[in-house]
Amino acid sequence: MAMTVDLPAIERTDAITRRAPAGLARYVRPALGLLLPLAVALAWEMAVRFSLSSGRLVPPPTKVFATIDELARSGELGRHVAATLTRVAVGFGLGVVAGTLFGAISGYWALARRLIDPTIQALRAIPSIAWVPLFILWLGIFETSKIALIAVGVFFPVYLGVMGAILSVDRKIVEVGRIFRLSGPAMIRRILLPAVLPAYVVALRVGLGLGWMFVVAAEFMGASEGLGYLLIDGQQLGKPAQIVAAIVIFAVLGKATDWLLEIATAPWLRWQDAFGRHSGAP
Amino acid sequence: MLVLDRVGKVYPNGVHALERFSAEIRRAEIVAIIGGSGCGKSTLLRAIAGLDRATSGAVMLDGAAITAPHAKIGIIFQEPRLLPWLSVADNIGFGLSDLPAETRREKVARALARVGLMDKADAWPRELSGGQAQRVAIARALVPQPEVLLLDEPFSALDAFTRRDLQDHLLDLWTDTRPTLVLVTHDVDEAVVLADRVLVMRPRPGRLFEEIKVNLTRPRERNSPLFGSFKHHVLTALDRSLDRSVPDRDAKAGVGGSMWW
Repeated sequence: MAMTVDLPAIERTDAITRRAPAGLARYVRPALGLLLPLAVALAWEMAVRFSLSSGRLVPPPTKVFATIDELARSGELGRHVAATLTRVAVGFGLGVVAGTLFGAISGYWALARRLIDPTIQALRAIPSIAWVPLFILWLGIFETSKIALIAVGVFFPVYLGVMGAILSVDRKIVEVGRIFRLSGPAMIRRILLPAVLPAYVVALRVGLGLGWMFVVAAEFMGASEGLGYLLIDGQQLGKPAQIVAAIVIFAVLGKATDWLLEIATAPWLRWQDAFGRHSGAP
Repeated sequence: MLVLDRVGKVYPNGVHALERFSAEIRRAEIVAIIGGSGCGKSTLLRAIAGLDRATSGAVMLDGAAITAPHAKIGIIFQEPRLLPWLSVADNIGFGLSDLPAETRREKVARALARVGLMDKADAWPRELSGGQAQRVAIARALVPQPEVLLLDEPFSALDAFTRRDLQDHLLDLWTDTRPTLVLVTHDVDEAVVLADRVLVMRPRPGRLFEEIKVNLTRPRERNSPLFGSFKHHVLTALDRSLDRSVPDRDAKAGVGGSMWW
C-alpha cells in the first residue's frame, strides 16, 4: 500500500526537477546569443571613447542610437518605417496569393504542372533585380513598380514551397482519405491542407525574408521615403550613423515580422514532432 | 458474402501480380491469406478494398461489385497511418464526420475504452507507442462498423509480445460485431491463431495454392499439440508453394475442374 502511495509522489518531484532548469534556461539561453554582439559593440564604443579610432566611418553604438532617437523625435522615422512596411506588406501579400495559387495548381494537377512549371522555372532563373528597368518602363517610378518587384521576389519561394509540399504529401495518408471515401474538397480540407501546412509556413517565412531583401532593392531605384531611402541618403550626404541606424531597424523589423508569422501559425503546428521544439536541442 | 471471382492484376509494367484468384468468404468468417513475398497478397487485399482495380475478374460484396472504397469495407494497414495533426480521439472519429457531434463523441469514447486508451484521447499520435498506435488504427477502422475488415500484415512491425497481445485483442473486438476478417500475413502463428481458414498462395504470378480449414475452438491455446499440427500443416503447404516442381491447383482445375488433394 505504501508503495502505491509513494510512486506518484516520486514521479511528481521528478517532473518538477525536470521543469525547473527548463524555466530558468528559457531566459538564459537566448541571452547567450546576445553576448557576442554586445561585447563587440562595447569594445567599439570603448575604442572610440579612448580615441583609438575616430569613429567617423564606423559610428559607435551610442551615436547610432542617438541618430535613431533623433529620427524618431522628428517623426521622420515613423514615416520611413510606415512606407517600407506598407510596400513589404502589399508586395508580400500579392506574392503569397499568386505563389499559393499557382503552386497549388501545379502541385495538384499534373497537366497544369507540365504546362506552366517549365515557364515559371525559367522565369525563376532570371535574377529578380533584372526586372527593375522593365518594371519602371511599364509601371512608372512610383509605388507600383516597387511593389511588383517585391511580389516577384516573394512569389518564387512560395510557389516552389507549395508545389513541393503538395507533391510530397504521403500517398499512404492520402489512401486513408480514400478509404473513408472523402470527396475532392474534403480530401483537400482534411488531408492535403494540414499535411502541407508545415512546409507552407516555411515557404512563407522564406518569402517574407526575400520580401525584405527586395524592398531595399526597390527603394534603391529611386524613392523619396522608406528605410532604403535613408540608406541612400546617408551614403550621399556622408552620414554613416544614419546608414547603420537604417540597417539596425531593418534587422529589428525583419526579425519581428518573422516572429509574428511564427507566432500566428504556431497553433496549427502544435502536432509537429519537430527536433529542437522539445528537449531535442539543449 | 464476399466473393472473389477469378481476380487478376497485371501492373502497367507487365508484372502479373495476381492470376485468377477465386474464393468465397462467408459473413463473420476469419480468413488468413499467407504466402511468400511477391505472391500478390497485398495486391489482392487492395483490390478488395477498392484502392486498386483488378485488371480481370471481379470482387463482389453481397452481389455488388467493388470498384472503389466502400462504406462496408474497412482496412488496417501495416503501419497505423494515423493523421499526425489530429488527436487520438479525432483520428478514431475520422470516418464518422457525417454523424452529429454528440453521437460521434459517444462512439469515439466507447471505442477508446474498448481498446484501453481512454487516457490517450487528447494525445498526439506521435506520443503513442507502436502497439498503441496500431490499436488506434484498429479502433478507427472498426468504429464505422464495417461488414468486412481487411488487415494487411497489421502486426508485422511490432515486437512478439505486443503482437500476441494485439492478436488476442483483435479477436476480442471481433466478437462485438463479428465482421468478416480478411487478414494478409506472413506469420504462420498469426494465421493459425486467428483464422477459420488459411489460404496459402504461391508466387510469380500470385495464385491460390492450397486452402486449409482450422477447426479449432476459440480461444486457441498456442502451445497445444493440435495447434502445432495445424501450424505444421500450413508450414508444409507454404514450403510446397515455393517449390516450382509442384503443380498448382489452378493448372489442375483448368483441366479437371476438381480439387487435386
